[in-house]
Amino acid sequence: MALGTEIIFIVDLLAIYAIYLIINSSLNLEFGYTGIPNFGKVLAVGVGAFVAASIPGRILANMAGIEGDYIGDNISIITQVNVWLVDNTGIGFAVFFLTLGIAAGVGAGLGLLTAYPAIRLRGDYLAITLLALGEGVRIVGNNFTPLAGGTLGVQVPDPLSWLPGELRFPVATIGLIIIAAIVLLYTERTVRSPLGRTLRAIRDNEVAAESIGKDVTRIRIKTIMIAAAIAAIGGALYAFYVGGTIAIAYDRTSWTFWPFMMILIGGLANNKGVLVGTLLFVTLRKFIIFFKDSLQPYVPFDVVWLDFLLLGVILIAVLLYRPQGIFTEKPTKTISKEGFTDKQKS
Amino acid sequence: MISLAYDPIFTDAIIYSSLLVLLSMGLTLTYLTTKVPNFAHASFATIGVYLALIASRIWESSPYVAIPIAFVISGAVALALYTFILKPLIRKGASKAIQMIATLAFDLILIALLNITADYITKNYQIISREFTLRSYDSLFMDMPMILFVAPILIIIIASTLLIILKKTKFGIAMRATIENPDLSGVVGINVRLVYGVSWFLGGGLAGIAGALMSMWFQGDPNLGALMIPSIFAASIVGGFTSIYGAIVGGILIGMSEILGTRFLAGEFGSWLIAYRPLIPLLFIVVTLLVAPRGLTGINWYRVRRLFGTRN
Repeated sequence: MALGTEIIFIVDLLAIYAIYLIINSSLNLEFGYTGIPNFGKVLAVGVGAFVAASIPGRILANMAGIEGDYIGDNISIITQVNVWLVDNTGIGFAVFFLTLGIAAGVGAGLGLLTAYPAIRLRGDYLAITLLALGEGVRIVGNNFTPLAGGTLGVQVPDPLSWLPGELRFPVATIGLIIIAAIVLLYTERTVRSPLGRTLRAIRDNEVAAESIGKDVTRIRIKTIMIAAAIAAIGGALYAFYVGGTIAIAYDRTSWTFWPFMMILIGGLANNKGVLVGTLLFVTLRKFIIFFKDSLQPYVPFDVVWLDFLLLGVILIAVLLYRPQGIFTEKPTKTISKEGFTDKQKS
Repeated sequence: MISLAYDPIFTDAIIYSSLLVLLSMGLTLTYLTTKVPNFAHASFATIGVYLALIASRIWESSPYVAIPIAFVISGAVALALYTFILKPLIRKGASKAIQMIATLAFDLILIALLNITADYITKNYQIISREFTLRSYDSLFMDMPMILFVAPILIIIIASTLLIILKKTKFGIAMRATIENPDLSGVVGINVRLVYGVSWFLGGGLAGIAGALMSMWFQGDPNLGALMIPSIFAASIVGGFTSIYGAIVGGILIGMSEILGTRFLAGEFGSWLIAYRPLIPLLFIVVTLLVAPRGLTGINWYRVRRLFGTRN
């Protein structure tokens, strides 16, 4: 069974959609609900990808008893690991979820470390610090080869290697969509909880929130850590999906700027906005890339820059003429009075 | 001065520091007025780099010709960013974060346009327009590259002119008043928008000059701006982001530590450290924010002296 081009196109689109949904809902939690301008989103995503690049391959190679220099003989080691995984599917999944857990932990830790110097300062200082430190992730990844193979990159073991070739990507996509749904459910529940109201109170009036006894700094740090953990899971999933990590791919535009653009188009501080904004952006982007080759002969430069130009202009237009995005933030749905009294009676 | 020729690293350090001073002065000037960190600032410099390339390779004259042109064009681009994007956003009451995102979007547009220019130059004139250097187009002065003298001297001239304008002229005083209290200066009849526009033009123009100078020593590339952004912000934050003096000190400090500090550390611990040079400005940002968040100019030196018991 060979898949048609259209199916591959849709499968890939949905996978990227799911990964960006995870990252965007974490950014929405930070920026949309709490008002933390995290211009270093790429840091958490990159950290997740580096965890996926450096840890599961080593663990599995060790368990399978494959010898060799993990970075130097990466391709042959990962190929052997993938063959070994065909008979050890359970271990593959265990290591996969373990990796996601480690990525979340490391992401949260680094989120705390990078936000700490500026968390008490004005928003713009925090934004500058996070942006600058976000650049650091690529520098370290590019030069510290044990992490992700430096400029050559490394391959990531594939827990789905037991599937026949043409089924691997569709199944992976279904898995990604399920994880994205869980993340969205989690953020939706968080923002509807009392904590969610506190987050919005901090965003709208920090002083007022402080005056009623909310520890603003602590809640901010917590939010950054949770969001970084989610984004790191997204980064690790991306690495597993594409089957490799290369530091140069973790640039500011792809993993900080595009997420901001998606949630701004969709509308801040609501998950419907995240769903629609991400879908719009990912589809548009996919079509631009798809039709790039047919446009290339007509322009005297690389078409990819036309893409950047177009997206930059779209974002500025959205900011100027539709700053609230497609969906505006609505008051949280609460239980009706009848529902509340019924609950108390029972 | 002659001894400098023995080790090109000092040339690197002097030129790089001068450029950072110029860039962080411009950034501080725009930040002082609108209070928005402009993430597109480094790309204003890249415009200067490409103008220098066009001046030397296409017009076949000296790259120094590009300096005034870069001042005007980069200044105009900065003014456009302020007038057409930031001013309407501020009027609509957009938050700081939204304004910052707008500057990021503008940066993306500039990077795209610069890349298109680079592609166009390569295609039409068969000139290398990525990772190029114009060192060979610079003239020699006392057996040393002219830029080594031009960069610091130009920076001294620009900095003192700027300070004289700010302290002595009527417009400069109006500018400082606007920075201090925009509402009140509007009341006494100062055209606040004009003042903001002029400072954005000057800020962008200074970045353009820095770019034109940069091309004569360092490699030029459309993505240069993205690479330099952390250094420029580090210089400005170390300087306190509120004064031109601070920007000068910060620029020299970051420039010198990036180049000489890397060399020193590489000598101590091995040459693998050189690749991590871009982490130095990040370290400066973190340490400054933890120790003295208002930068060098915000430190109460009297108290520091008392703390160490060296009152005099």
